[in-house]
Order: sequence, then structure tokens, then C-alpha cells
Amino acid sequence: MNIDKSREILSGAREFGSDLSSSAEEKFELTVIGVAEEPEFDNTAESVQVIRERLAELDQSEGKTYWRSLEELSETEEFQAYLEQEFPRQSAPLESGLDRREFMKLLGASLALGGLTACVRPNPQEKIVPYVRAPEEIIPGKPIMYASAITQNGYAQGVLVENHNGRPTRLEGNPSQPGSMGSIDAQTTAEILRMYDPDRSKEVLQGGSSSDWDSFSEAVSSLDGNIAILTGTVTSPTLASKIDAVLNARSGAKWYQYSPQNADNVLAGSEIAFGSWIVPQYNFEEADIVLSLDADFVNSGPAKLKYARAFSDRRRVRTGEDTMNRLYMVESTPTSTGAMADHRLPMAASAVEGFAREVAAAVGLGSTDSHAALPDGWMDALVDDLTNHASVVVAGDEQPPIVHAIAAAINEAIGAVGRTVTYHKPAMAKPEIQSESIKFLVDDMNSGKIDTLVMIDSNPVYDAPADLDFAAALDNVATSIHLGLYNDETAVRSSWHVPQANELESWGDARAFDGTISIIQPQIQPIYGGKSPLEVLSLFLGTADTAYDSIRAFWQSAASGGDFNLFWNHVLYNGVVDDTASAPMRARAKSTIFDEPASHGADGIEIVFRPDPNIGSGKYSNSSWLQELPKPFTKLTWDNAALISPKLAEAEGLKSKDVINITVGDKSIDAPVWIMPGQAEKTITLHTGYGRTNAGKVGNGIGFDANVLRTNEHAHFVSASITKTRKKYKLVSTQLHGILESDGIGDRHITRGGTLADFQAHPEHPGFVHPVAHHASDLYDDFEYDGYAWGMVVDQTVCNGCNACITACQSENNIPVVGKDQVAVGREMQWLRVDAYYGGSVDNPEFFSQPVACMHCEKAPCEPVCPFGATVHDADGLNVMVYNRCGGTRYCSNNCPYKVRRFNFLQYAELEENAMALLQNPDVTVRSRGVMEKCTYCIQRIQQAYITSENEDRTIADGDVVTACQSACPTQAIVFGDINDENSEVAKVRKSKLNYGLFEELNTVPRTTYLARITNPHPSLAVASSYGSDSHGSDTHGAEEGGH
Amino acid sequence: MALSLKRLRSLPKGETDRVIGRDARTNQFPDAGAIDDVVNAPVYVHPLKTPMWWIIGFCISLFFLSIYITSVVYLIAKGTGIWGNNIPTAWAMPIINFVWWIGIGHAGTLISAALLLFRQDWRTSINRFAEAMTIFAVVCAGLYPILHLGRPWVFYWLMPYPNTYGLFPQFRSPLAWDVFAISTYGSVSILFWFIGLIPDLATIRDRHPYKFGKIFYGTLALGWRGSAKHWQRYMRAYLLLAAISFPLVLSVHSTISFDFAVSNLPGWNNTIMPPYFVAGAVFAGFAMVLILAIPLRKVYGLEHLITMKHLDNSAKLMLATGLFVVYGYGVECFIAWYSGAETERYMLYNRVFGSDYGWAFWVLIFCNGVAIQPLWWKRVRYNVWWLFGISIIVSIGMWFERYVIVAITLTRDFLPSSWGLYVPTFWDWAMFIGSMGLFCTLFFLFIRLLPTIATSEMKETNWHLSHVGDPSLRYKENEEEL
Repeated sequence: MNIDKSREILSGAREFGSDLSSSAEEKFELTVIGVAEEPEFDNTAESVQVIRERLAELDQSEGKTYWRSLEELSETEEFQAYLEQEFPRQSAPLESGLDRREFMKLLGASLALGGLTACVRPNPQEKIVPYVRAPEEIIPGKPIMYASAITQNGYAQGVLVENHNGRPTRLEGNPSQPGSMGSIDAQTTAEILRMYDPDRSKEVLQGGSSSDWDSFSEAVSSLDGNIAILTGTVTSPTLASKIDAVLNARSGAKWYQYSPQNADNVLAGSEIAFGSWIVPQYNFEEADIVLSLDADFVNSGPAKLKYARAFSDRRRVRTGEDTMNRLYMVESTPTSTGAMADHRLPMAASAVEGFAREVAAAVGLGSTDSHAALPDGWMDALVDDLTNHASVVVAGDEQPPIVHAIAAAINEAIGAVGRTVTYHKPAMAKPEIQSESIKFLVDDMNSGKIDTLVMIDSNPVYDAPADLDFAAALDNVATSIHLGLYNDETAVRSSWHVPQANELESWGDARAFDGTISIIQPQIQPIYGGKSPLEVLSLFLGTADTAYDSIRAFWQSAASGGDFNLFWNHVLYNGVVDDTASAPMRARAKSTIFDEPASHGADGIEIVFRPDPNIGSGKYSNSSWLQELPKPFTKLTWDNAALISPKLAEAEGLKSKDVINITVGDKSIDAPVWIMPGQAEKTITLHTGYGRTNAGKVGNGIGFDANVLRTNEHAHFVSASITKTRKKYKLVSTQLHGILESDGIGDRHITRGGTLADFQAHPEHPGFVHPVAHHASDLYDDFEYDGYAWGMVVDQTVCNGCNACITACQSENNIPVVGKDQVAVGREMQWLRVDAYYGGSVDNPEFFSQPVACMHCEKAPCEPVCPFGATVHDADGLNVMVYNRCGGTRYCSNNCPYKVRRFNFLQYAELEENAMALLQNPDVTVRSRGVMEKCTYCIQRIQQAYITSENEDRTIADGDVVTACQSACPTQAIVFGDINDENSEVAKVRKSKLNYGLFEELNTVPRTTYLARITNPHPSLAVASSYGSDSHGSDTHGAEEGGH
Repeated sequence: MALSLKRLRSLPKGETDRVIGRDARTNQFPDAGAIDDVVNAPVYVHPLKTPMWWIIGFCISLFFLSIYITSVVYLIAKGTGIWGNNIPTAWAMPIINFVWWIGIGHAGTLISAALLLFRQDWRTSINRFAEAMTIFAVVCAGLYPILHLGRPWVFYWLMPYPNTYGLFPQFRSPLAWDVFAISTYGSVSILFWFIGLIPDLATIRDRHPYKFGKIFYGTLALGWRGSAKHWQRYMRAYLLLAAISFPLVLSVHSTISFDFAVSNLPGWNNTIMPPYFVAGAVFAGFAMVLILAIPLRKVYGLEHLITMKHLDNSAKLMLATGLFVVYGYGVECFIAWYSGAETERYMLYNRVFGSDYGWAFWVLIFCNGVAIQPLWWKRVRYNVWWLFGISIIVSIGMWFERYVIVAITLTRDFLPSSWGLYVPTFWDWAMFIGSMGLFCTLFFLFIRLLPTIATSEMKETNWHLSHVGDPSLRYKENEEEL
């Protein structure tokens, strides 16, 4: 074959070249362009016979037969080999770096292969056209930000998409969108990964076998009978109007909604309280006192980013004059909100109702006979606070309707309505109780009333309540059509599956929690040929409207008056449609709320179902970023676990990683346990989203499926029984557990904290901030940083451990994912981590979240020990890492007291040229194996700011450089900037008396510092809760860094 | 007259003395040539008549060497991740093994250089193979830091050579010092060893029964004729090299200890590290000398040259340095407590009582502290079985010492959130066992191809014994005269 010949030529050329230049130090490879022949075709009678047979075969199959060459027709092995050679699927010949010499060789080889192609018969000419006049806004190498939105459970989170010459690489929050406020959560950040995910479905499937869009549209046009449409929660006005159009056009058509995370309890609660479906919105910026009834308002639900920001804004303490709000929390399982609480009480989910009734009775509503076991004075303090301050009571989405109703009644009684809580029309296009909706749907399916079921962006086979047995019901439907990103559990049981376009690939619109509408703009052509729901629904109307047509058509009719294009451009530019937020409504709670009989908490073991804090209820199962993201507090990765309280573990003789069997009714599952301090005593938390069978390569077969135990009636918590098994399961956590204060960490003063009262008593020298006197001294004069001096401050008071920063960093800095096995041996690569510590008792501890990344020490211990000189300091005080220079001795990591350096033990970064390569940030180097890496303070952004400021002949202003973690942080706990600039935010925050450096006694002079965590307990309940202070600590010790 | 080894071994004990002309009463050889014959007998054997025990031993060593080569190839193909290293335990088995091997080498240098300068003539019968042991141990050790790199192929960047990359070693790093410590140690050891070999190679050249042997050893002998001038220059060069080598006994392992002492980690940042490491190295080295000498003198019938007196002296040195090491443990504990630093105290607590690795500390205390105590008794020091057993235990103990210092210290340092565990993998062990294969392969080649005892020096010592008396006494007399 000619291929072999050309190889010979090539290798000959290589030898020839090396002979010629072997003496020279700087060698240049000579290469010869291989002169190749056409694939030889054996033109014998026999092979002609083969071709005739093949033609006959082709004739029998449908349609016209075209063929290009005899070789192609004969399908000989040689031809196949030739094809493979010419169109290699994956050409990644170089596993480790590309040095110049290899590059030259490869260049030679590709030229030679290019020569091969040149000698093959000419392909039809397809002209490509260069930019003669480039689009005005595109500057090669400079990204453009587009405003768009990503929906989470139907609600819009505004985003700005970083787009590099038509290639979206990164999402950030949109400051003008109320569901984002400029922040972004980990899931939305990871949506970009989901878009590029090579596991996404790429073709239309009919009964599991390959089909195409045209066949599908034909099939749709010939459908008759009753149509049912199942969607998740829909807030999109255009999609809703499209569905309405289908419902109108097709008699008997019905629309059902089901999302495992829904607002059923809120709606049903408002039904009880007000007789209508309205939803509360909380104004935490006004609230001095917050009582949360099992509500994780800072880290779940569509308003979480807004709530987290508003709530945290009231907790920013810098000086002794600052005040802060106070949070009382009763919850069944530790959440980010509970971790921020000033008074937290673990309580079974079913007992919250009784507690709520007690509070209600205490503020003069109803009466109760239940008495929750509360610490002394708790209720008095709570009621005192609620009645004397601007307060609000928040009920959790998982709590039953009556709790929401009681909360509404209390809010009214304490004068919160209109001040700290307002009531609004739901943002949903069609508010309904989804647990009923899905039940009606399954009933209709089972009774044969539905001929065609269209499932849009939902996966009911996996996430619908187990007792409904959706999979079995699906068999009763003649034609089931599934539109989804993945060929998931529902797709494989449907008669049609259509790949869906990601929200970054298609037009759409959606509302935020408060009703504000955002337009979703596509950033790239659907890379896997997906279709938007609007396109699919258009088929049912007999049109072939694109999503763009539909959106434009809807808004042309919706936008009243004025120049539409002006309006449209304005909306796209801002990312929001102005004045679409819903107005507050007047609502009066009914007095009949307390007529409902009280239900009492069960005594036995109770299961609480929660969506996984990282991967949600399955939407992000196939997201490697989120799978590897350590879950808040447990720091578990790649698995879910049954979280149990230390007391239950003791009573049942369980250790973390033991497997228990959990039985609810006649269903049971095996699950590994994880002991969670602060968990309600008899509550077991199960996270959904795991145990997937058709999620994709990443998400398949990891964890256990908690949905098996979840019924429509008990979707949030249920009584259960457990038995211990002999099995063990390997759970992987990024933090060693079982280390408590007794183990020697008590006196290290890693996280420091005290009460607001302590701070106010000693505003100049808070003892808990500098428990041990420290006087830095050095033989040598310090280096003078007279230009910029970059620094960061992390406010531990408002960090709630939500992980948004970690994923933002991962996305910005091209950080690879390493997999469960590598995490298990301690090789996770995230540059930024959120360390979890506990203080106080194991049953109800105080939670500390401490984000830790490279501290950029002014006297960095990593630098002097590197023999290669690969980690050095720059004039602005950045500790920089020169990847090309790093030989990988790893001494720097040993000598780093903060252990923030990450090593490429294997080739973690993917070097293959697949779709995922498009995801990489072009401004950041992709690291090869054997190289150390770490947080750079987003040096690429700093450099960009330098360039911009120098072009504009000015200095970098405060806020010009925003690190990825800082921009994502929902609570703005991270402040970054130039500490030499007296007016910068970071310089001001560093001056706070709460500012301290981690291990500053080692004289590392870290540029990242922390603000001690301040809590604000009720004066009557304030127990000594200062951590970090000990017998050495006293006010006189408060030492100044660098002072003598 | 070449004596066949087989014949020598077949003789009854009294008869051996008669044949080789040894005076059993004074332990002297009236005929100096007999020393050559006894020592060089295995070298004269025709390749095809190589004894079976050697072939078997060599094949076993080759097998382990192939494991080593396999692990190196796999390492370079896959990356450092094939080992159990992680963050925080970024250094582990490869560094442990590196320190262990380099420590073993120290006894060789001590015996050949220091004892020569101190006129301890008993060293002559063990210095040759002890030096060989040093060189082979340095080979095994020296490969580790290179293979340990994340990108081993750029190791030459650590050399200060002019280049267009603008690269130069960063000399504040102890690892840059290591490069010089190890390369100096390796080159000086090889030179010293080879120069010592020259007169013996000439002897073999002269007496080798086969032509290829004459050519091979003749080439190596570099034209040595044994003239007085040769001897004079030889002695001077030898003494000079000894003087150069002697500081290396102290400096090499001190430099290696700086890898740890210069860092800021609790458990590493100790000023006692250099002397403590040197003592540990000599301790481990003498254990290895005994492990090698005891079987060697048996199979080659060298009991008369490497006598119980030599073993006794080695055991005494082992005991002394062992006690020094134990003192080092004590000082570490005291300083950890005395510093008052939380991290130091916890490091000690974790080392001694930690649930994950506390056992390793007690293993090392037993091996290095308890197991050497029987050496106080002469009867133990004169029993090869005891000595061999204790030496093996000491070797294991010294490996554990490095395991505790390197790996366990790293698993728990400052920040509890980043504490981790370290578990060696299959490849960690494969490379370690494989490096022993490399050592044994080299050692088998050595005992087959070269005289295992410095015969020229032996003859000199023998002459002193028979004509002047015990040289150490002679020097004493001189001192008194002065």
C-alpha cells in the first residue's frame, strides 16, 4: 500500500535529516514531502464481481445510489485503512508536551500526509471565504461578553457569557438580573461544561436506533389522537404561549408539569393561608431577625443568590460600630444557611410544624400542646427578638404546606408583611401543584387516554415519584417523544428521542424568581445538532419555525409600541426585559389556619430527601466538575451518602462508610453512611441525583438512587427503618474526618471567631483575632512594594461554603478533573478549596467555612526550596509559577504550610482535540503532567487590566481586576485588589481589626487574609462561643503584624 | 599457584591453613602470594566454569533488576502518579529509598577513607567490598532523585551549565546542593575505589590463566608495573583521595539532611538533623557491611582474612552509631516538647501515638534502639548468626526511620484540612525491590570479576604483622618517643 511507502519515505527522510545535522547543536529536521499514489485497486475480475454484488445490494435498499469510486464501493480493507489514515478520528500522537523538535517532525508528517491528499482525486470545490470586512466588534484574542440566562428548575439565572471568537468558554453572573446580582452558583457555571459534554445525545433516535430530524417531523405530522405535554417548571412566556397554541390547535391535548424541586408546598401553603396561589419574597436587607424553619434560603431555590447577597449584606462587620442581623435556624440536616446561623437547632423535619405552632402560640396565634426540646431560654429569646425587631419567618420548600401557612400567619402577626416579606404572583407560567399534575398524567397514561406523550427537558423515569412507576406507565403510551440533552433513562424508553439544544445554543426566554424576564441568546450553533423545545413544539403546529422565529414573534406581539429592534437590542444587551418583575400584592392570612389539626413528629428514624448540593436532582449527574466538587461540610466527592447524626451512629454502632439498608414501606436500598455533625438526631439525609443508569460516562453507576424510596405523598421526608449490613463502601472525601479538637488542632487558631458583643466590647483589640502575641522580625529589610500590591481578604462571617468559587475557578483556569480514584489518594486539582471546621459539640456544632487558595505569601516558603527556580515572586507580590521551568520536585508543596499547591501526578489535562478542548480558556496555559500548579490570583485578568490601563494611560482602578472566585461569590465574601491603594476596598477591609493571616506566626506574610467570623447570639443565650481564643489570649496581646 | 576455590572449600579446617600457608597461631601468612591466591581464586575461574551458586544468584538479581527497569519504563511512560505520592505527601517512598541507599553507602567511605587516615589497619580486609557497596548504593540512590522528578527528562536543568534558556539552578534550594553532594560523592568514591584496585588488577593480569583475562585486567591495570616510583605515587594519591573522601562521610548526609532541616515543617525543621543523619547513615552502612560480609567470607572461604575481629569491630561501630541515633530520637522528642509550638508537639504526638502510623515509630524504636542492645556482649558480637540477624533488623529499622521522617511527617503538618494518608502502591515497592536487584546485580558482577579484598594492602599489613608487629602498637611507641 502507498501508506506504508510514504511512511518509509518519511522515516527515511528523518534519518537522512538527523544524519545531516547530527553534529549541530541546534538541529533542524529535514523533511521530504511524501509523493504518494492513489490507493491501489486490484482490478481483477474477482473484485469487479464483488462490486457488482455490492451495487446490487445497494439497489435493493431505498433511494438512489451514489458512489464516488470503485474503491469506495468495494469496501475493501485497504480502502478502509486508507480512509482511517486520511481522516483519523483522534490524532493525539503526543501525550507529553510538544517540544520544538517534535513539532517539526509532526509538521513534516502532516505536510507529507497533505501531499497524500493532494494526489487523490480532487474533492468538489467548496470555497471558504475570509473576513474581508470583519465584524466590527470582534477583535481576535479578545472575548466578548453576551448577556443571557440559564434556567435552574425553570427559573432564570442571569449570566454573562464569555465568548472567544464564537466559542463560549465561561459563564459569569449578570449584575442587572435579580436572580444573579452578578453572582453565579456552581451549577450554572458548570452549564458550559454540560454544553460541550461529548456524552450529549447527537442524533434523533427512533426506538433506540438512529434516525433524523426529517423523519421525526414527518412522524409528528402524521400523529393523531390525544397529545400530552410534560415539562418541568415553565417560566418562559414564549414556551408557555407555544404550548398554549398546541393545546388550542390539538383538541384533547393537555399540559402537565413536574420537576422534583418544585414549589408545591409554597403554593399549597398559600392556599391554606390566603386561599390563593401567591408566593412570598423576602427582603433580608430589612430583616434584623430571621427565623428559618428548615429553609436553606441562601443555597437553594430560585432566589438563593439574591437572598444570600441580601442576608450577607446585613452581616458585614468591619468595625465595632457595625451591626448585624441574627438568624435562628431549626433544620433537619446541616445546610449553608444553618452554617451561618447565630442560633441553630437540629430538629427532625416532621417536628418543625410543632415548633412553628409553638412560636405562633408565643406570638399569640393559635394554641399548641407540643413542646419541642429547646435549650433553656431559646424560645423566650426568639420571641423577644421576633416581636421587638424587624423580623421575618421563612419556611423551607421541603416543609409541608401548613408550616408555610403558619409562617405566613406569624409574619403577619409580627408586622413583617410589606416590610421584610412581600407576596407576589408566582413567576411560573402555569402555577400548579406538580405532584398532582404528575399523578394525573400517570393515571391518564395508565388508562390509555394518552396516545402521544411529549416530554420536554424532563426525565420522569428517573425522577418522578417511585410509587407512580412512570416507566411502566410509559409503556401504555403509543408514541412517546423525549426531548433532552442526554439519551437518559426516559429517552431509552421512549419511541422517539430528539437531542435538545442547550440553553447556550438556542434562543429562549425565562423569568427569574421575581418575574423578571431574560432573553436567552445562543452563543454557538448547536454543536451536537440539538433542537430547542420551541422547534419541536412548532412541528405540532405544522410549522418549521426556528426558535429565533418563535421568540421574535412572541416579543414582537408582546412588546407594545416603539421601535421593536431598539427594544430587542436593548433587551439583549442588558439581559433583562425592564419592568417585568411582579408587583407586591396585598394578602391577609386567614384565621382558619390554626383550625387544621396539628400533626406530630414521628419518634422513629426519618429520611429527608434533598437534591444533591452539587449535582442537583440529576440535571448535572454527568458533570465531572460538579461530581468532583467537594460537597459542603462532608467534602465528599463522586458519591452520595446517607448522612446520619453522631448519636444515631453511636446507637446503631455505625461508622462512616458502613453500608446500611434503609427500608420505607416495601422498598429498600443500601446506602453507605457518613456521620454528619449537627444532623438532627434521628434524621437520615439522602441526596437524589445519583444512581443514574443513563446519565453518561461520568454519571452512570455512581452513588445510589434515593428516588426509589421517594413517593408522591412523602416526597420530602418519610419514616423509615434501617439495618446495618456487613458491607463497606469506599466514600471519598477531600478532608480527613474524625479529627476533632482533641486531636491537636485546637490551639492552631486556623479559623478565628467571636461574638459581636465581644468585638464591640474590645473594638480595638478583639482577643479572639490575635490570641497569641506575634511579633514579626527579620534580619533583612523587607522588599518595598511600591507599585501595585495585590491582595485578598476573605470574610468568614458571610462565607457559607456554597462552592460557587471553586467551580468558577475551575472554569476560568482550565483545571482538570481527576476522577474518584485520584481524589481518593489525595490528588484533587482544584486550586481553591473550602475547608470545613466545626466548633463546639458534635451534636450541634458551630460551622466554619474557610476558602483556602494560594496565599501569595510575601515571604513564600515555596520559593527558596525550588531548585529549578520555577516558582518566583514578581514585583507586585504575586507568587508566580513558571510551568515550563518546573521539573516537579514537589518540594514547594512540602514546604507550603497551607498545602495549596496541586501537582499533575498524571496527565490529567486532556490533550485530545475533542469538543472539550473548545471549553478551555485561551488565556490560561493547559498544564502537562509532572508540573506543579496553584492559584495565580487570576493573573491573566491582572495582565488584561495592565494592558487596558496602560493603553488608556492610567493606573488600574479598584475593581478593574476581579478574580473568578470573587466574581462568582454569592455573598461577596471575597475582596480582591491593590492593597497599596488606600482607597481600595481590599485595603480598607484589611484595616479591620478582625483581619488576620493564617499561620502568620510563620512569618510568611500572606497576601490573602481572613476576617474573623462574627456571630450575633441573643445576649441572654450568649455562651462563650469564641473559637481561636484560649488561655493565652487577652486584649493586651492583640499584636500588630510587623510591629515591635 | 592458583588454588581452585572448590579445592579450598573441600579441605578440612586445619588442612586449609597448611595449604594456604597460614600460621594459625599468629594469623599470619608467611607466603604473601597465598593471599592473592585465596582472594583472586574466583576471578581466575573460566567463564564457562562459573560456580552454580553464582549463576543462580546472578539470575535472581537480574530478575529483580528487570523489575526495576520495568518500573522505570512504566514510570516515565505514565508519570509520578503510579506511586502513592499525593498532596500533602508529595515526597514518599522514592525519597525514603534515596536516603536509605545513600546512607548505606556511608560505611564504605568511612571504612576506606576515615579508617585509613586513622591507621586502623583492620579495615584492609573489608574496605574493598565496602567501597564497592558504597558505589553501588550511590548508583541506586542517585537514580531516585532523578526518577522522582515530575519530568525526569529535564533533570539536567539542575546542572549549572550555560544555555540559551536562561536556566540556572536556584542555589538557595537544598535540592540544588544535593546534586553536588551526590555527584561529588559518586565520582570521588569511584576514583578512590579504582585507584585502590590498580595494583591488584596488575596482579591478576600477571597471574590470570586465560588470555582474555590478561587483556581485560591488563587494560584495567593501566600499565602498573609495581616499580617503587609507582608505589610512591600510588600511596600519595591514595592518601590524598582518602583525605578528600573523609569529609564526604560527614558532608554528604549532612547535605541530604538539609533537604529536611531547611524546610519549615514541624518534624523536619530541626538543627539536630545533620549529625543525626550522619550517625544514622554510618549505622545503616555497617549493618549492610555485615549483611554482605558474613555470607561473602563464607562462600569464598575468606574467614581467615575477614576474621571475627573485623566483624566485632564493625558491630562495635554499629552499636556506637546506633546509640547516637537513639540519642537523636530523644533530642527530637525533647525539642518538640521544649519548643512549646503546638504544631511541633502534635507532630510528635502523631508520630508516636498517631492512629494511622504510630506503629511505624515503635517499629523503628525496636529495630534501631532495642535490637542492637545485645551487641554489648562479646559473645553476640562473635556470633555470625546474631550479627547477621541484628544487621537485617537494623537495615529495616533505618528504612522505617526515613519512612517516619519523610512520609509520616508530611501526612499531618500545619493545616488539618489538608492532612492525608499515604499508602505505597505496587510500583513503589516494585521500584524499591527492583533497586535492590540493581544493587545485587552489580555486587554479583563485582565478586565475580574483581578481587573482593584489597590484596596489596593485605600483603602490606601482613608484612607489618610478621616483621614489625602490630602496627597500632608501633605508632603508639612512636608517639611515646615523641
